[in-house]
Amino acid sequence: MTYDVIKEAVAKQQSGDKKLATENSVLGKVMTFYIGDQIYGIEIQNVVEIIEMQHITKIPHVPPYIKGIINVRSKVVPIIDIRTRFGKEEIPYTSRTCTIILCMDDISVGIIVDRVADVEDIHSGDISATPEIGMVNTNDFIQYMIRSGEVVKLILDVEKLLGDEE
Amino acid sequence: MARIEPGMEAMLDMYFYETNSLLEQLDEILLRTEQANVFDSEDIKEIFRIMHTIKGSSAMMGFENLSVLAHKAEDMFFVIRENPDVITDVSFVYDLVFQVSDSYKAQIEAIQNNEGGEYELMDFTDLINKLLKGRDILLGEASADEAVPAAAVAEAPAAAEQNDGSTTVKVFFEDGCQMENLRAFLLINTIREECSFLEFTPSDVETNPDTSKYIIENGFLIKFKPIDNVDFVLKQIESALNVQSYEVVSAAAPASSEAPAAELPPEPKAESVVQAAPAAASAPVAPAAEVKEPTAVEKAQAAVEKAQAASGMQKQNLISVNLAKLDALHDIVGEIITTESMVISNPDLEGLELESFNKAARQLRKLTSELQDTVMSIRMVPLAGVFQKMNRIVRDMRKKLGKEVDFIIEGEETEVDKSIVDSLQDPLMHLVRNCMDHGIEDDVKDRINAGKPEKGTLKLSAQNASGEVIITVQDDGAGIDPEKILAKARRQGILTKPESEYTEKEIQNLILLPGFSTNEQVTEFSGRGVGMDVVKANVEKCGGTIVVDSKKGVGTAFIIKIPLTLAIIDGMEVTCGDLVFTVPISTIKESFKAEASQILRDTNNNEMIMIRGVCYPILRMHEKFGIETDVTDLEEGILLLVETDNKSMCIFADKLIGEQQVVVKPFPKYLAKYKIKNEGLSGCTIMGDGSISLIIDTNSLIG
Repeated sequence: MTYDVIKEAVAKQQSGDKKLATENSVLGKVMTFYIGDQIYGIEIQNVVEIIEMQHITKIPHVPPYIKGIINVRSKVVPIIDIRTRFGKEEIPYTSRTCTIILCMDDISVGIIVDRVADVEDIHSGDISATPEIGMVNTNDFIQYMIRSGEVVKLILDVEKLLGDEE
Repeated sequence: MARIEPGMEAMLDMYFYETNSLLEQLDEILLRTEQANVFDSEDIKEIFRIMHTIKGSSAMMGFENLSVLAHKAEDMFFVIRENPDVITDVSFVYDLVFQVSDSYKAQIEAIQNNEGGEYELMDFTDLINKLLKGRDILLGEASADEAVPAAAVAEAPAAAEQNDGSTTVKVFFEDGCQMENLRAFLLINTIREECSFLEFTPSDVETNPDTSKYIIENGFLIKFKPIDNVDFVLKQIESALNVQSYEVVSAAAPASSEAPAAELPPEPKAESVVQAAPAAASAPVAPAAEVKEPTAVEKAQAAVEKAQAASGMQKQNLISVNLAKLDALHDIVGEIITTESMVISNPDLEGLELESFNKAARQLRKLTSELQDTVMSIRMVPLAGVFQKMNRIVRDMRKKLGKEVDFIIEGEETEVDKSIVDSLQDPLMHLVRNCMDHGIEDDVKDRINAGKPEKGTLKLSAQNASGEVIITVQDDGAGIDPEKILAKARRQGILTKPESEYTEKEIQNLILLPGFSTNEQVTEFSGRGVGMDVVKANVEKCGGTIVVDSKKGVGTAFIIKIPLTLAIIDGMEVTCGDLVFTVPISTIKESFKAEASQILRDTNNNEMIMIRGVCYPILRMHEKFGIETDVTDLEEGILLLVETDNKSMCIFADKLIGEQQVVVKPFPKYLAKYKIKNEGLSGCTIMGDGSISLIIDTNSLIG
């Protein structure tokens, strides 16, 4: 989703106009997953597939969060451990650990997540922008948040995740 | 800003391909003829045809400015084609056409780089005016030389016939044979070969079915000038399919009305009515009005169609294929080879006696390797295209810089992979420019004083040498002055060791480093400080190497070595820890187990090994790549002696697995920002069991 759409949704909620504020259209879908207790989401158009963990071939001279490369149907895809990427402690992989293959602008990457949760609609009324400051060091990769009841889901900015930033 | 017409996007690729190849052809003709300084009539026809085709396809695509530009150029060449002697100032014509070609390329590039279908519309008014002026000048000369034939025909056809030896015939087709217009067109095509001049009314028979009616009522009028014999042509007309009768409206000179009657062919079919010459006296009045019609344009079209028919015949054996499809094919072949290994060396088969399976497997292997060779050869294209483009650059620079240079091309038929050819263009262009700009002396006197011929020489050559293609760009100019280079390098602070330790070769190759440009003055063509390092990077991107070989006062040569093809290599699989590496077999000299007595250590504790009296450094893979392994004793593991570029070393790995043909896959794009490639790995490959092996790049490992 573009930043404009997010801004618009947030602006509508904050506007005094009651009609606008309660308007609740579906803007898209996200796939959600857990890292520890926190739910994260990735917009569905960037998700190619979810695969089980498989043997990862390590490669030298890369940051520790790049676990290596795997063979997905004859395509070589690099694997990022989201935990390590976000500076969280590593935990051993379990049977629920999954690799989500993402694709954006020709670049494919797999991310390792603790477990996959669900696919759900994005309602414009639930969107809120990320706070400008504060938050943990994951803030960089969060594009916006979705509130549903008490639960807050952090939607990742795939472009930044796959982008050039170290 | 203009938009690409909706619905035309799908045709764009084809249009670009076609137009670009036509423009290349045009450049080639121009360069070839410019040297000879004369247009021969075939070339003029060819240029005319190119312009005509471009005009048509541009109009179809809705690129109006391009269409108009081509049209004006076509007009100008029409004048030239009609009367080749009109060119008094050849260079003027060349410059104009080169400008047209350049404008075209620029606009097409702009369209190609369009964003969301929008592109910048260029204004060619100036150039079009120049073309018009050029045409007028030429036309002026033409009419001065002699009366324009077309005009003469229009004014006094009967009179013209007397002079120019042409014959006019009116043809009637069989009643009810239908599609008279196409039959007429076929007839024209039949006799075209025999005629040096051909006109017909109605002129749009090929495209306009309505002309059928006219032909039924009034007959089909053909005016022709035979190459040798009128009778032969008449016979052809007579015997053509569905022709019921024909009448000679006006015959060739000798003009006496009776004479042609005698010369007429033997009595034709019973039903055919031959009205011979006498008609000539009375008939011309009616056709005269019609003969006016076939003007310059039709004649041009006829010529163009003929040329197209001719070239169509040559091109029949070629098709153009989207490179993406070839890449896909190539990938599939790669996977087939992988799968084949998967089947044939399947662990389930171990220990089984499978005589017929093995036989079939051998056959399969033979066929897949043939398939692979064929696919590879499809992707191979000659370097000629790229080399020809250099011709153009040399020409332009020769003019601009005022340097006299002979440009020699050798081995342009050498073939390399298409993707390599594409990435070679920029580096070669840079090198050629550099040689022209910096290499060849600015002052002819310098050359004479050095005992060299006045005219400089620039040589571009390519040759095949054991799985590599060697491309050399060589000039006989001033050469590289090591002192200057060293001084400059010192100023730029790119020296990495004491100056005295640099050999001459190393100094020369300093110019390939980033941020190095010795030219004091920045010119239009070179000297922006980017360039040579970009050349180097480009060459290395397609797996090649470049070295400089220069001698002060004698000349400079840039030698580029590139692999024939990138994709499939014979590799030796070795393990190190839990990783599998592939070492290209072409670089392996031998593999062996080390003995303690062979191993030496120098004062820095670097390990070395003595083999047959020669000492080689040892590189431990597990240390280099930070891998955990149990095998750290040199005597336990395996050593591979590898050599590239005359440098050798021993690689230490855990275990040898075996030989395998592997398909090289580049590392995923995401990893491009990490310097994996410069650290001894060139890519990866998927092995028979689906696991991934990393391919060792011996070059960067040693270097």
